[in-house]
Amino acid sequence: MSYACGGHDHAISRRHALGLLAGAAGGLLAPNVARALRSKQRQVLMIWLDGGMSQLESWDPKPGGDFGGPFRAIPSSVPGVHVSELLPFTAKRVHQLAIVRSMQTKDNSHSVGVGRIQRGDPVNRGVEYPYMGSAIAKLLDKGDSGLPPYVLIKPGSSGFLASDAGFLGGRYGALALGDGRPPVHIQGGVDAELEDARQALRRSADARYRQGRGDADVDAWEGCYDSALKLMRRKELFDETTVTRSERERYGSHPLGRHLLQARRLLEAGVLFVKVSSYHWDTHADNFAMHQELMPQIDRPFAALIDDLEQRGMLDHVVVLLMSEFGRTPKINQRWGRDHWPEAWSLALAGAGIKRGVVTGKTTPDGSAVAENPYDIGHVFHTVFRAVGIKPEETFYKHNGQALAIARDDMGPIQEVLA
Amino acid sequence: MSALALCLALLLQGEAPRASDAEFLRRATLDLGGTIPGSDEARAFLADPDPAKREKLVERLLASPGYARRLEQAVTVMFLERRSGGKIPDRQWSEYLRKAFETNEPWDRIVRSMIAADGREDDTRPAMKLLADGAGGDPNRMTRDISRLFLGRDLLCAQCHDHPNVKDYKQAEYMGLFAFLNRSKLQDDPKTKKPVLVEGAAAGKVEFASVFSPAKKHQTAPKLPGNDEVDVPASRPRELLAERLVRHPQFARNSVNRFWFLFMGRGLVHPLDLDHRGNPPSDPVLLDGLTAGFVESGFDVRRLVRTIVSSPAYGRGGRAAPSKPLSAEQLAWSVLTATGSLERVRKAPAGKFSAGKYLSGKSAEPPRTLDDVLQLFVDVFGNAPGEPEVGFQPSMTHALFLMNDRLVLDWLRPFEGGLVSRLSGRSGDAVAEELYLSVLTRMPDAEERKEVAAALGRSGKGRDVALGELAWALIASTEFRMNH
Repeated sequence: MSYACGGHDHAISRRHALGLLAGAAGGLLAPNVARALRSKQRQVLMIWLDGGMSQLESWDPKPGGDFGGPFRAIPSSVPGVHVSELLPFTAKRVHQLAIVRSMQTKDNSHSVGVGRIQRGDPVNRGVEYPYMGSAIAKLLDKGDSGLPPYVLIKPGSSGFLASDAGFLGGRYGALALGDGRPPVHIQGGVDAELEDARQALRRSADARYRQGRGDADVDAWEGCYDSALKLMRRKELFDETTVTRSERERYGSHPLGRHLLQARRLLEAGVLFVKVSSYHWDTHADNFAMHQELMPQIDRPFAALIDDLEQRGMLDHVVVLLMSEFGRTPKINQRWGRDHWPEAWSLALAGAGIKRGVVTGKTTPDGSAVAENPYDIGHVFHTVFRAVGIKPEETFYKHNGQALAIARDDMGPIQEVLA
Repeated sequence: MSALALCLALLLQGEAPRASDAEFLRRATLDLGGTIPGSDEARAFLADPDPAKREKLVERLLASPGYARRLEQAVTVMFLERRSGGKIPDRQWSEYLRKAFETNEPWDRIVRSMIAADGREDDTRPAMKLLADGAGGDPNRMTRDISRLFLGRDLLCAQCHDHPNVKDYKQAEYMGLFAFLNRSKLQDDPKTKKPVLVEGAAAGKVEFASVFSPAKKHQTAPKLPGNDEVDVPASRPRELLAERLVRHPQFARNSVNRFWFLFMGRGLVHPLDLDHRGNPPSDPVLLDGLTAGFVESGFDVRRLVRTIVSSPAYGRGGRAAPSKPLSAEQLAWSVLTATGSLERVRKAPAGKFSAGKYLSGKSAEPPRTLDDVLQLFVDVFGNAPGEPEVGFQPSMTHALFLMNDRLVLDWLRPFEGGLVSRLSGRSGDAVAEELYLSVLTRMPDAEERKEVAAALGRSGKGRDVALGELAWALIASTEFRMNH
């Protein structure tokens, strides 16, 4: 193992301290990942359908069999590839996607599964691993967007979720925008003229303090004001009145649609990692009626999002990952529901570093098991890291003197989907 | 270590320039009282010609109620790492610890009760919080916390195998400590319904194997590093652990190092929980001397604190000054003191404030009381639960809060006894002087006086607004944010 540097947070300067804290618990050992990246900064959009979207009602339909359910499979834009009829809009964009139909993971409970999957199911090294967003923020953030590197859009409340960062330390946590709303304190307390005046006085006080005391603390604290002011100047990012009627129609006015549109805007503004979480996908009862209700909420806005990213040239530098913590049982229970099924489920990828119009993996005819190319979440982490230009086999976290793998070192990327 | 050698060591630390009176007053008042001093106090101290005024200040602060409150807050943050709530109400723990510091209970006794308390007696139940809530009653977390917090050794890796980089940290050491704790269990007493940390019957030695060689089994009886194994006690092994722990040489050394850190911003051994042969103290003679003195004094905390804050190292100025950020609590008290709002919130009637709801925009119920304000500042400026507060870790959300929170902005408007009203009644240089003494605990220099006059002169929005602006800029400055 060779390390390009042994320093603590070598790549972190005050300009990187957005949302953020200086002096983290976890250092990073990497051969200057960021510098190795060519041209446009790669970004990630993770769409998290919490509770478990049914693979049978989406990417891997099995119509006709015992477990298939009432919905048909429809042809997609890729010859020979069929998806559920509940995905009519997305079906026409499958040529932009890579579908993995052979996910095989471990936990079948939400309480353990959600955290474990989002942390990449790391080998137990006695530390809490970061969620993917915190990991990417740590590994890639150069701080030049002037925006927080890891933003979570979710229903419910706003806040700063330091716990996502695990041992990397709170600064890599998620800035959570409840229903897409910005932090409460983004609203200016004073008018623009007063703001300028008081900030000028503050800077002048800091300049004097700097002379007697050195730069480190002043840089760290000033960087926070710079970031705060930048975010305040970008209030339009959170202003839904600027959304056009056609955008509203294409994405939908339901939360997931609005949040995906918000995600696109944040990615356009340069946020490194955006996660959109949607709940209520846990269809233990009435699975079919619920998916009939739920699938359009992802189908249409997801298709709109893929179109928008493509049209803006963003599919070349944004990696998109659409997934849940597991799929749903092929077997239909007595309440017409499907239960938790980590044994054989699907997810979709798109964008930078990802092949377009491919399907990998296969499940058995009744959908109950993986028949070909089983993949675990560790493989997905490898794949996303590769897609954004990070080489997991050469990049390690440093924690208390220990080098920790950033992804399962007994796994590798899903080669078939890597471009 | 002789007293002479200790004196020498302390003297050698003190070659750098000495802090000014103003610097020393602010530093010591924050460290020993938990807040900046008011402007009257600052004025009086600066004018006092007594050459022994610093020593007298320290004695006054050590005897004040602020001392016990400040130490309680600092030690709580260090030990519980912002894990609030749980089985033992936060208030009971704070009250217990504050009293312990107020009566200067010996440190070994305090720690002994934290380890041994099982919740069966009302008077020691609060002490149980460290293991019951801090470590969640989990024997592995207890093992880790006790080793980190009291022996200065982070044995996390050694739970599963010998530490890969630290030769001294062996799995056998972890398991020896674990063997005192593995029978502890947190539950509610069936009769009283109160939480208890019971200890089951002795189960013999602990068997373990490294994950790297799972076939090779080892076993250990309860044992502290460097000590012999002890016979497995028939009952209450934590009591035995508590007794042995406070007599372990590493306990006194680590305690001294942690108190040194609280006042100096950095441990003599740093990181605080990585004390091993490969990471020697920056000044071994000093650490040994302080440790020996602490043991000789019978673990007298007030005396140790006095020694540290009387040292030339603590009294250094300029770039050599010990520098650390204000804790969330110090910041709350200091903003209240600077803006003249302390009395206002102390007198306010309690409402139904929830910092979580306030900060997520779910509730408009503003903070009113001192407790509300403290809760809010801890939520904004404190670290996430479980994250030690070491070093300066500022965040954008901290800046947004100071810039835009309406509570903070309210404190900078005129009101009876408030800073802006006080400044409003003055003219000329007296404005800048009162402003700087109130917020930064020092007199302004010529440039600063000019800046204040200029800002007041060009203000188009009225003098009070300009005064609020000036005060905000100083409160938002790095000089205010740090204790230096």
